[in-house]
Amino acid sequence: MKSSLKFPFYIVLLLLLQYASAQSPEFGKVTKEELAEKEYPLDKEANAAILYSSRDTHYQSANGTSRLVSEYHKRIKIYSKEGFEYATAYINLFKSRSDDETVQKLKAYTYNLENGEIVRTELEKDQIFKSEISYNYKQTRFTMPNVKEGSVIEFRYQVYSPFIWNIDEFRFQTDIPIKRLEAELRTPEGFNFKQNHKGYLFVAPKVETKRDNRIDMNVVMRSFALDDVPALKAEPFVDNIDNYRSGAQFELVSIDIPGSYFRSYAQSWGDVAKSIGSTDDYKNQLDKTRSFDDELDVLLAGKTDQLAIAKILFKHVKNTITWNGIDGKYFQNGIKKTLKEKKGNSGDINLLLVAMLRYAGIDANPVVISTKDNAFPFFPTLERLNYVIAYAKIDDKDYFMDGTAEFSDLNLLPINDYNWKGLLIDNGKLVWRRIDLTSPAKAKNMYMVDVTLKEDGSAEGTYRSRLTNHGAYGFRLKFKDSNLEDFLVNRESEFDDIEISDYVTKNAETYEGPLSESFNYVFDNAAEVTGDKIYFQPLMFLREKENPFKPETREYPVDFGYSFQNKYVFNISVPKDYRVESIPEPVKMNIPNNLGSFRYIVQKNDNEIQLSVIFEINKAMISAANYPYLKEYFNLVITKEKEQIVLTKNSSESTNSTAGGR
Amino acid sequence: MRFLFIVSSLLCLVVSSAQDPNYTTLLLDKSLTSNANAVVRLDELSIDIQSQEQMVIKRTKVVTVLNAKGDKHALMYVGYDNARKVRNIEAVVYDQMGNELEKIKEKKFKDVSAVDGSTLYSDSRVKYYPYTPVSYPYTIEIRSEVQTRNTGELVSYWSFLEDFMVSTERNRLIIKVASPDMKPAIKEKNFEGYSVEKKESLTSIAYEAVNLQSITKESLCPGIQKMAPAILIRPVKFTYGGFKAEIHDWNDLGRWMYTNLLQGRDELSPATVQMAKSLVSGVEDDLEKAKIIYKYVQENTRYISVQVGIGGIQPINAIEVDRLKYGDCKGLSNYTKALLNAVSVEAFYTHVEAGSEKVDFEEDFPDLAQGNHVILAIPYQGKYYWIDCTSQSHPFGFVGDFTDGRKVLVIKPDGGEVVRTVTYDNAENYQNTTAIYQITANGGIIGEVTRKTKGIQYDNRFGLEDQTKEVITNYYKRSWENVNNLVIDDFQFENNRTTIEFGEKLKISAVNYASKANDRLLFSPNAFNRITDVPKRYRSRKLPFEIQRGFLDEDEFQIKIPEGFTVEAIPESIRLENKFGTYNFTVEKQDDQLVLRRTFAMKQGEFSKSDYAEYRDFMKKVVKYDASKIVLKSDV
Repeated sequence: MKSSLKFPFYIVLLLLLQYASAQSPEFGKVTKEELAEKEYPLDKEANAAILYSSRDTHYQSANGTSRLVSEYHKRIKIYSKEGFEYATAYINLFKSRSDDETVQKLKAYTYNLENGEIVRTELEKDQIFKSEISYNYKQTRFTMPNVKEGSVIEFRYQVYSPFIWNIDEFRFQTDIPIKRLEAELRTPEGFNFKQNHKGYLFVAPKVETKRDNRIDMNVVMRSFALDDVPALKAEPFVDNIDNYRSGAQFELVSIDIPGSYFRSYAQSWGDVAKSIGSTDDYKNQLDKTRSFDDELDVLLAGKTDQLAIAKILFKHVKNTITWNGIDGKYFQNGIKKTLKEKKGNSGDINLLLVAMLRYAGIDANPVVISTKDNAFPFFPTLERLNYVIAYAKIDDKDYFMDGTAEFSDLNLLPINDYNWKGLLIDNGKLVWRRIDLTSPAKAKNMYMVDVTLKEDGSAEGTYRSRLTNHGAYGFRLKFKDSNLEDFLVNRESEFDDIEISDYVTKNAETYEGPLSESFNYVFDNAAEVTGDKIYFQPLMFLREKENPFKPETREYPVDFGYSFQNKYVFNISVPKDYRVESIPEPVKMNIPNNLGSFRYIVQKNDNEIQLSVIFEINKAMISAANYPYLKEYFNLVITKEKEQIVLTKNSSESTNSTAGGR
Repeated sequence: MRFLFIVSSLLCLVVSSAQDPNYTTLLLDKSLTSNANAVVRLDELSIDIQSQEQMVIKRTKVVTVLNAKGDKHALMYVGYDNARKVRNIEAVVYDQMGNELEKIKEKKFKDVSAVDGSTLYSDSRVKYYPYTPVSYPYTIEIRSEVQTRNTGELVSYWSFLEDFMVSTERNRLIIKVASPDMKPAIKEKNFEGYSVEKKESLTSIAYEAVNLQSITKESLCPGIQKMAPAILIRPVKFTYGGFKAEIHDWNDLGRWMYTNLLQGRDELSPATVQMAKSLVSGVEDDLEKAKIIYKYVQENTRYISVQVGIGGIQPINAIEVDRLKYGDCKGLSNYTKALLNAVSVEAFYTHVEAGSEKVDFEEDFPDLAQGNHVILAIPYQGKYYWIDCTSQSHPFGFVGDFTDGRKVLVIKPDGGEVVRTVTYDNAENYQNTTAIYQITANGGIIGEVTRKTKGIQYDNRFGLEDQTKEVITNYYKRSWENVNNLVIDDFQFENNRTTIEFGEKLKISAVNYASKANDRLLFSPNAFNRITDVPKRYRSRKLPFEIQRGFLDEDEFQIKIPEGFTVEAIPESIRLENKFGTYNFTVEKQDDQLVLRRTFAMKQGEFSKSDYAEYRDFMKKVVKYDASKIVLKSDV
């Protein structure tokens, strides 16, 4: 069964799978067939496969405390040495200041076939290691003994969690194939959880209500079962592969015990926004101005234009406060400490910016988001939002700001921030809603190159570029802090080993406005000279050489980060005694659905050649359905840019006829 | 193959001298700040060897960080373990005016396991404080003090310039000993051109250097350790892991290591000994037996790093590895040695500094801290065969560029011996590529490529055998980037583990290989072994350079041209020869096809900075001729 459904920014082909019932394998009953198997039949390239994976999540209570218990059972087949990494397991355990998750009843065996007999080796307790990995996580790790090509490993364990309303995502897809997967979630009746689905394989659970004697309550039981789930691996230009791997997330939306108790939890994005808005950080702290009012009064004295004021404050925050690299939607330090220590998390910086903008009389509010590396919020959720930026409305125009990043500007945020939508928290006007954050403005980059081609096939000339928006942003990041010599050494190798001199940039160290770059160059291998002919590719060292899209198909969208237009203008003067014999035909092409376009025009004029090329990608995110077009587009562009111009030497009588140089 | 052990070099530490700090950045001399990411204002290490079982190490390090790349030189951490205790660590941060910004007391330091990404577990720990700089430049001052029973864990390498792009304002080392016989041995390295002051008494040694300018890294230049002024320090009388030692030469060190840390760890269960014997039953020759055992180890174990116990230099028991079937380089080598011994084959546990850069053990400076990996040496008919037990795929006796051609310590029951491992010389690193291909009328290419590799080139290639089709296809697409749209229609490999030769046979095709110019087609005949990168250009080269391994490539490509086209131009023949190597490139017409013959040989060597321009020029020509084109013209 196939159906399609329109999703925010890409079209997903949902493969709707039925609940697949089958006999579940019992722990410890590994078969000879499994051990003898040499390759995974449905994906012969797989280094390992999950033969069986099950998870059973439910509640337990004892002595008045409740625990969320998840029982895991996994059986993994290792086909090759490259699959050995799957013989090591990492179990992440969340911890708070006072409580933490624990692993219990861990049992694990490796099975091998030796002389036709099944031999099993147990994982010993002293080979299970515990490590702290961050402030909020610890990890239990182990690697299986006696693993070789062909081994099957099997383990089961239980995770006990005191964080009973946070149900870890159910993951139905990984970077290796899964033969059989089962999952079950039992939640007490009256505790209403909403299921949110992600990825292109859709699994509808079987839902029933049953009595659970262990907790003496009726429970809602959701069961999932899938067969033959293919692997999904990351390819270049993907925002976050986890967005596209199948899975289900659960969130508590309400507790409803008829006749005795009702409480609703975040259900809509508005509700989420409202609950963020009602925290002390958002409700009270943003209008406390005592710690910075004197400073701002000086800074803003005599200024009245709101946009100018916003720019001053944005710059002020960026110049004085450094981001400590930590995400957050709330304050980590608070306004006072942030100002004193001059650093803070994203909450400290951008909420401070909101507070300052408000103090200056600007209509400013926080916008809470989930960044790209934090994956995509598929449903209204508070926990999965990890970041906040500042938003202002000035003369009816929207301005977004992120003061954490050195080269960001008003409406020019780090790429990581553009993850579809943000949540506006406007307590003052009682507005709590989602707003679009889809695409940064197009980067318009212009490259102007003068080329004087020599008889020996070398060329020299000047290069000038002008980059805007994220084109400039990316350049600045690369340029920052690099020693000029190193930077040029790398630039020369990127550009086919030209030699660069008189290198100048303008505006590379600030975040405002376009950036420009210029230099003189010598390009030794610009052209091929054979007999009385010279051949060269007119786009010289700026030619697109390799197609970044290699696989034939793709199951998830391509994320360029931002849309862009690159415009190239070349003025080429040919050696004196040569005339232009042939030039490539002009070309115009478009990617269907207006996703991009390419224009290529060469004109000749005595011994001058003008080349104009425009290469455009109009959308930051391009759906998987359009992937074949995109791949073919790059192929055609590369082929066209390879075409050569042919020059022929004039016979000696006609030498004086050409007018000098350019 | 992977790394193996850490002899405590991560634990540099230390002391305090009461000076009036003036850490204003503004007054720094330009000669220290230019081409530097950080300036070491003061690095003072004081080692106080109070007895053979007691040592206190203090360090005061003051660093001005000029930009984000310098942050790593101002990390606030100290490592410790069961034998090493942290007595104090604290840090102060100053802004560029020299004003104090933040004071970090010991209790604010985080205490975590010292595990890197490739280690499953380690019982070494580290205290660190993750500082976020507010602005540049800034200055940090870190003071630490540790105490250890392992007097063998001296800071073994002390450099007066800690890295490329770091300058030093003042650097001081002070070693105090309880009695003259406890004095460590010292070896000075790369002092030429630097003035380092030395003071010595019966019970102390001190070094001091001031105002050393930074060194900027350049491509192919030797590692910083081959250029920076530094001293090697090694304890003569010491304790390590509870064992006392007195070391005067490598023989002593080998014997101490064997007696205390290796002996008795190679026991196996009777069942395993029996199993090993049955594997080699009927085989008489020791080398043949060794091959069988090595194959068994490769097929039945894998590399996993777990660091517990004595300072990361003692292998876990063979019996334990036998049970788990995994281990680190120490454990796997010791286990293999035990199996070899069980079948009466002699093998020696060997310390080596592994990595593609060849680093020798210092022949006249026997020091436990040298080396980071373990391999086995198997003596047979007057020579050693080397095996790396962490590799599941290398042929017997072949170690590749990870441990080739360098001096290592072979540890025998009666002492140690410094020996050079097998070297793969220039032409031994051989590649032969032949191809027969057709250019089609619309510019495509289709044909067959056959390639054979030996030596280090074998090492670079044979791993393909174990990869998935996807990885293999991508590998060829990347190595032959010059053939856009490359399709690998078929591939076959032949890995001859006896002669150590790897063979590849490919069927390939690609559209639009040749570029069009009106009625002409242009293409490079060298489709399958093209050098495209010219060495980086330096406006003024400052450092010498080295070619660590030479090679020889021979290519012959037969090219069929499409019907309806005639050859309009072919590249001229060229022969280049100089101290770096030779290059030949000829294209000839033979009957109705064209034949490219190319040889390219590079020689291993060390060269002065003034040779760099010539080397670059040579490579530039190679790149140019490799790219040169054949022009075909349509007859119609």
